[in-house]
Parts: sequence; C-alpha cells; structure tokens
Amino acid sequence: MLNSTIEKFKAYKRGFSINKKHKIIGWFFVIPGALLIFSFYFYPIVRAFLLSLQGGVGNNLRYAGLANYKRLFEDTLFKKSLFNVFVYLILQVPIMLTLALILAGILNDKTLKFRSFFRTAIFVPCATSLVSYAIIFRSMFALDGFVNTILINMNLLGEPINWLGGPWTARLLIVIGLTWRWTGYNMIFYLAGLQNIDPAIYEAAKIDGASAFDRLTKITIPMLKPIILLTTIMSTNGTLQIFDETKNLTNGGPANATISVSQYIYRLSFEYVPRFGYAAAVALVVFVIVAILSFIQMKVGDER
Amino acid sequence: MNKKKLFRASKYGFLIIISFLSLFPLLWMFIAATNKSVDVLAGTLIPGKNLIENFKVLTVNTNLYRAMWNSFKYAAVTTLASLLISSLAGYGFEIYHDRGKDMLMKILLLSMMVPFAVIMVPLYMLFGDLGLLNTTAGFALPTVSTAFLIFLFRQSSRNFPHEVIEASRLDGLTEIGIFFKMFIPIMRSTYAAAAVITFMNAWNNYLWPLIIMQKDSAKTMPLLISNLTAGYTTDYGVLMLAVGISILPTLILFLALQKNFAEGVTGSAK
Amino acid sequence: MKKKLTVLFLMVLMVAGFTTMTFAQEETTITVWCWDPNFNIYAMEEAAAIYKNINPNVNIEIKEVAWEDLQTQLSTSLSANQTENLPDIILMQDNALAKNVNSFPNAFYDLSDSGIEFDNFANFKVELTKVDGKNYAVPFDNGAAINAMRVDILEEAGYTIDDFTNITWEEFIEKGSDVKEKTGKPLLSAIAGQSDLLMIMMQSTGNWFFDQNGEPNIADNEPLKEIIRVYQELLEKEILVQVNDWNQYISTFQSGTVAGTMNGAWIIGSIVPVEEQAGDWRITNIPRLANVEGATNYSNQGGSSWMVMANSENPEIAADFLDKTFAGSKELYETILPSSGAIATYLPAGDSEVYNMPHPFFGGQKIYTEIIDYAARVPEVDYGIYNYEARDTVSTAITQIMSGQDIQSALDEAQSTLEFQMW
Repeated sequence: MLNSTIEKFKAYKRGFSINKKHKIIGWFFVIPGALLIFSFYFYPIVRAFLLSLQGGVGNNLRYAGLANYKRLFEDTLFKKSLFNVFVYLILQVPIMLTLALILAGILNDKTLKFRSFFRTAIFVPCATSLVSYAIIFRSMFALDGFVNTILINMNLLGEPINWLGGPWTARLLIVIGLTWRWTGYNMIFYLAGLQNIDPAIYEAAKIDGASAFDRLTKITIPMLKPIILLTTIMSTNGTLQIFDETKNLTNGGPANATISVSQYIYRLSFEYVPRFGYAAAVALVVFVIVAILSFIQMKVGDER
Repeated sequence: MNKKKLFRASKYGFLIIISFLSLFPLLWMFIAATNKSVDVLAGTLIPGKNLIENFKVLTVNTNLYRAMWNSFKYAAVTTLASLLISSLAGYGFEIYHDRGKDMLMKILLLSMMVPFAVIMVPLYMLFGDLGLLNTTAGFALPTVSTAFLIFLFRQSSRNFPHEVIEASRLDGLTEIGIFFKMFIPIMRSTYAAAAVITFMNAWNNYLWPLIIMQKDSAKTMPLLISNLTAGYTTDYGVLMLAVGISILPTLILFLALQKNFAEGVTGSAK
Repeated sequence: MKKKLTVLFLMVLMVAGFTTMTFAQEETTITVWCWDPNFNIYAMEEAAAIYKNINPNVNIEIKEVAWEDLQTQLSTSLSANQTENLPDIILMQDNALAKNVNSFPNAFYDLSDSGIEFDNFANFKVELTKVDGKNYAVPFDNGAAINAMRVDILEEAGYTIDDFTNITWEEFIEKGSDVKEKTGKPLLSAIAGQSDLLMIMMQSTGNWFFDQNGEPNIADNEPLKEIIRVYQELLEKEILVQVNDWNQYISTFQSGTVAGTMNGAWIIGSIVPVEEQAGDWRITNIPRLANVEGATNYSNQGGSSWMVMANSENPEIAADFLDKTFAGSKELYETILPSSGAIATYLPAGDSEVYNMPHPFFGGQKIYTEIIDYAARVPEVDYGIYNYEARDTVSTAITQIMSGQDIQSALDEAQSTLEFQMW
C-alpha cells in the first residue's frame, strides 16, 4: 500500500518534461558559476600540477619529471599522514553523519519543546573559533584534567590516561574533536532538507497505515538521499583534507601520530625548507584519492 | 502510554546532554573573557571582574572595530554574491539536467579536492598578474562560486515540486522569472542554511585574506586573533574576549534565520 | 568678479599642487612587518620616533603580523615572484633566517657594507644572521637562556639562588631532588614532545644537530645522548614535570605548581604578571653538562632580528634607519627596557643606567645587566638551513624514547628521516 503511494509521487515527478530549449536555457544558468570555478580553481590546479613536476627549493625550481611522485613512496612522514587521515575518515564520518541525521530527525518534530535552544546549542561548536576550543579541549584531556578525573571517579579507569601522549588516544581525541565540531554543521543541512519534503506524502502514508519506522526508512531517508550524498562527499573531502584540528589540537603529535596530509603540505611549504613542487605532488595524490572516493559515492548514491 | 512517555523523556535527556557538551566550551570562553590571564590559565570557572579591562586592552592594542567591520563586509558581500551565483547554477544543473550538465557537475566537484595551500601560490600569481592584489575584487572572486554551494542547491532542487514549474510556465512566466518568483521563496530553507554556512565560512576564512590583502587596514578578525597569540606573552583573557566577539555575528545570523531552515513553510508547495 | 574668483581658485590649486608634489617627492615611507605589540612593535615605534628627529621626511609604517603569517606571506609572495606587497623591513626569527636566505636568494638586502657596526652585538646573534659570510640582519631581541627560580621555595629547602649558579646538571639533579623531597615542588616544567629545553641544553654545549659539513648528526651525537639521559633522570626523579601545551606550561609556574623555569629571557614577561609572587623570584644561569667537552652555562632560545628586503624601493634608507636606531642608539634601548622588558643584544646598552637598575619583582636583582652578560657568553651555533626539520625529527625521537623506545634506535630513525628530508 505504502509503496504504491510513493510510486504515485515518483511517477508524477517523472512526468516532468525538459525540452531542448530548456536544456539550452539551463546552460545560461550554469555558466557564470562554472566559469568562476574554472578560472579560480581549475587554472591554479593545472598550475599546481605543473609545479608538481618541478623539483628544487624556494624559487629555484627546475623540471624534474615524476621525481616528486616517486619520492612519495619512500616518504614515511607522508605515508603516516595518509594513514592518519584515513583513520579519521573511517572512524569519524559515519558516526558524525549518523548522529547528525538522528538529531535532525528528533529536532524536526514540531511538538518538541525548546527546539530553538537545542538547535542553537548543537550549531554553536562549528561557529566556535578553534583557538578557544583547542585550549579548553587540551586542558580537559590533560593528565590531571576533567575527563580523567571523572572517569577515575566513576571507577572506569584505574590510572589517568595520557590522552595527548599516546598515538591512538591522540587520534581518538581528533575524532572526538571533529565529531563535536561538525555534527551540528551537517545537522543543519539535514534539517533544511527535511523541510523540503512535501508533508502531503507523510499524510498519504499515514492514511495507508505506515508505521513511524516505515515512514522513516521508506520516505524520509530516501527523500533525503540527495542531501545525504552531499554530506558524505563533503565530509569525506573535508576529513581527508583536515588541517585546523590536527594543527591546533595536537600539532600533529605525539611523534607525528596525528599529522594530516594538509598539515604536511603546510609544513613542506612554510615550515621546512620550502619545496612547493613536492607539496603540490602531495596535494595531487590527495586529490586523486578524494576524487576516486567521491566518484564511487556518486555512482552509488546519485539518482533521480 | 508509558513506553511513549519514556521514549519522549529519553529524547529530551539525549538532547540535553548533547547541548551541554556542545555549549560548555563556549560558556568557558565567555567566562574566560571576564578574567585575568593568570586566572584563565589556572582554569577558573567563575566569572571575573576583568571584562572592561580586557576590552580596553583589546581596543587599544588592536584595531578591533576595523577588523570586525572588514570581516563583516567581506562575509556579507561574499554570502550574497555566492548565494545568487551558486543557486542559479545549482537550479540549472538540476531542473534542466542532461548528460552534459551532469558530467560538468561531477567535474566541478573535483575543484574542491585540492588542498588550498597548494592552490594558493598559483592563484596569488594569477591575481598579481591581473593587478588585483589588495583589491576587494581579488578578495572576493575565488570564494564567490564554490562547487559545494552549487552542489547543495542542485541536491536540494531534487525535491523542488515540478508541478510549480509547469504551472508557472502555463501562467506565462519566463524561466528566469520562475527562478526568482517561485524557486527562491519556496526553497527558502535551503537559502537560509546556505546563508549561515557561507557567512560563517567567509568570516573564518584565513589563508586567502592573509595573502591577498596586505594593507593593515584590511585586516580581518581571524588575523587579529592570530596576532593576539603571536607575542612572547599571551593575554588569555583578552584573547578569549576577542574570540567571543568574533563569534557573535555568525551566531546572530543563525538565530535570525534558523526558523527558516528548521521549521519549514507549511503548505507552500500548494 | 567671477573671473577673479576663478583665477584665485586656480592659483590656490596650483600652489597646493606644487606643495603636495614637492612634499610627495621628499617624503618616503618605510613599511615594517613584525609581531607583538608589547615588545617588538613598541620598540619599533620608539625607534621611529628617534629617527624622526634625524630624518624628518621618513615615515615608518608598522604592520602587525604574526610570525607564522609573516612566513606564509613571505614564501607565497617570493615564490610567486609578486613582491609589490612586501614591506621594506621584516622581523625574522633567527632559526629561520638561513632557510629563508637560502631558499630565496636575492630576496634580502645585504647589510654587510651598510655601515652598521656589528661588533656591538652579542657574537652568537651576529653569527646567526650571517649567511655565506654576509650580514643579513640587525640582531634584536635577546633569547639568552635563564634559570628563573622561586627563592622562597628554595629557602624552605635550605638553598639560595647561588647554590644554583654555575653548576652542573648533576648538582642540579641532586639539589632538585632535595627540594622536591622537602617541599614537594618540581623545579621545572616542559612541553612534552616540544623539545625547547633540550634545544637549550644542546646549544649550551656549542653543538647542534649538524656537523661541520652540514650533515645530519643525530645518531652518533654524544652530547645529544647525554642530554637525553639527563632529561630522563629529571623526569624520573620528578624534578621536571611535562605538560601538553604552551598555556599549560605558563600556568605551571604562574600558579606555583613548579618552583622555577628555564627558557629564553623573554619568559620574564610571563612571570611578572603574577603580583602575589613579587619578590620571590631570582634568575641565574643554566646548569652545564659536565660530561660534554666545551659545555657552558649559557644558551639561547628564540630571538629575532631585523632584515631589509631586496625588493624595497629604499633599502639604503631602511638600512640607515636600522643603523641609527637599533644598531646605534643607546637611548632607544634605555627607553624600551623599563616599559616592555625588551632586553636586546646590543652590548653597549649594558653599560647604561637603566640596564643597571634593580628589578623589584626579582627582589632588587639587576637582571638586565646579567642577561646582557649571559648573551655575550652564549656559544655560537649554526642552526643550519634544515633547522625546522632537525627539530621535528629530534622531538619525535625524544617522544618515542620517553614512551619506552631505546635511545639508539630512536636516534637512528631520526637520523635517517632527517637525511631523507635534506634533498
């Protein structure tokens, strides 16, 4: 019964026509934005690729072919940074997006009180400046900090954990920090997306006798699919390119256990002896990886 | 009946815990802004009496008003321009979709996947050659159109009721007319969310404003905050005050717009 | 009437035009980039005021830029070959100077023949600002290492500041353990994984992480191994406590958790704001490593110097400005010292009255002359071009050693990583 209701709505959409004239008009809509991106993103990316074929220091650059790329294979710091960002990706993104989805679902209930307050509270972390929250984060997770004290008092720990001192606990900290910071951000997109779902379809489904769970899985999530795809691509991209959190929370430590690829690029450009060609090569490797992952996600999730 | 009540109560409980965890650092920050640096570092959670003093130091040592104004100008202009250009493109990509446009969208997405630190230098060279260093145009151009926003509008347009478009065409509206008169009002939740996010990102943008604007008078808030931590001694009370002030515009915008993206427009589709 | 007015108006315009033209021709603006309003910027402002009396047509414009941001802007502009936005003078961290001069040759103005008297500055600083024998910067702030201690706590254990002067690390550990036992307070704190203290100890021996040929010297670096041994002992005996970041480090001595700290002289700026501790602090020199040949009680941490950019339109004026102020004006140093505590490395300033004043916070100790004296005795060390890489690899090795890895293997790893990064 429910399925036929959904099918009716889908069929109505499919009946929508786009003729040739429309398609041409559509290009006019699209060109300004696309042109700006080509000028200010793709042009520099091409330049960056050319730069990645050059070796040397500072502004003494000379053509070196694929030497930079070959060197990446032996670069332990690069490999470590790549490993780290994948750890963050796998651990953090699914948790964060699920949490954001749940929160958006809960907060979309018009009968819930104080929704405004909850929404604002959950949004606040992504607007909070990293400078301030890094300080308090590190002090909360210090050896004698708040978190250890609570965990010991609750008898969950025997000895305080040196959060910032161990590689995996430090990585966990980054994951916690990222989740804390970006859940609200993603929640906003889900909330906005939920507003665009025609309430009539829920009415029809209720009349057809669908349960709350059915409505969630057969209507809400499928209709939110476009937005969910947006957030997974953006989060994958964002996490693999993460910089602020690893620099400010742990500065890549301890012993480079948390350093991210973007941080490594920054070091190569502005802290170590500047090698912009090599940094560009690192960036392009990241680019290829993110592109492949996004392509896969689009293939799986992008449908009309 | 009891099961329902329990479920409802646990929802509230969950939300309260999450809200507290989210707000706690902000609260700490506002308390720190009222204290002396020494006390801030000692970890006090009691509001102090140093707010006026910190404010005085902040306005004397830095050009706070100027930086706030610059950040606001830049963020507002970027947000308005961005929303227009990106939503036009997103609408175009979805409503007039064909294989070419779908391919183009995928290509545009690639533009976000290279870390900015590496794009920065060629971009700087480009703007230098164009003579746009130190100009507002140079400031704004790279950030006005982003694949992210275009993608957001494209995805959101998937749920735009097409019967509205059919009806509007029958009514004699031009395509662009449909966009301005129908799409924008109906999709206001997406615009509201996009406005808040774009404003926030523009406000917090660090690297590009750092290198494109060299004049001291063009400094933005993130740079001002960075300068506060650059000395041999950092006054943490003053720092937290600056950070707190810096959050306010985004917060205010959020509060003003949140009803729009979170509480839908009932019956608008009809 | 109208005609007369118009003529008069035009004449006024002409006169105004001429005067602005002539003034515009004569007035030059020198832009300076530096950070820290309480310290460097303040010093620059005072220098500008002094120079105004010497050369009234020169206008000094200061822009506040954090060091990291300055390096980013510098690297970006220089590698993009777009130097129009760069200033005339910059403040440069000493440990990044060689790297910048080497990476961007011809970007910095050679000051060797500009008339500046470099002998007036502490030797180790001048060496740091030289590349290939040429002087590229005017040394400025003083990072000479000091051991600042809470003498009220020392007294409880029966010691005075003299007991910690000119000593070895063995003696420090011995007395430190005693103090810990009797008062419960450690003598030092340091940031885990950020080996500032180790850097200080390294330079005190006159060694660094590179050998004479500029090759990495970590795996077989005997002074380094000795330093690590000492550091481990300090940690074991709880004379040194480790914290996780800069603000926690500051907090340890501000709140009295530790009874002292060792760092560059500029750390005084973080000690004096704690009014309740006034009178309880004294400074002295740092301990030396007895088992290392050539070890001293003196070292350096941090420090920066003024450089002139080659793209400047008026490099001679900029150089002259620096010459007459930072490299020649005792008055400048006397002015900036009392209000900012900006102790410089200009040796003649050490004779002035102001520098000889007793400091109330330090119980009347004449800290400024002492610090200038320390600066004169700091061993020369060449940080090298790959200094940041060296520091990172050594810090990583130390962290691994503190987590239990054996010293030699960690140092071997660091050595090979550094070699890899120097290509």
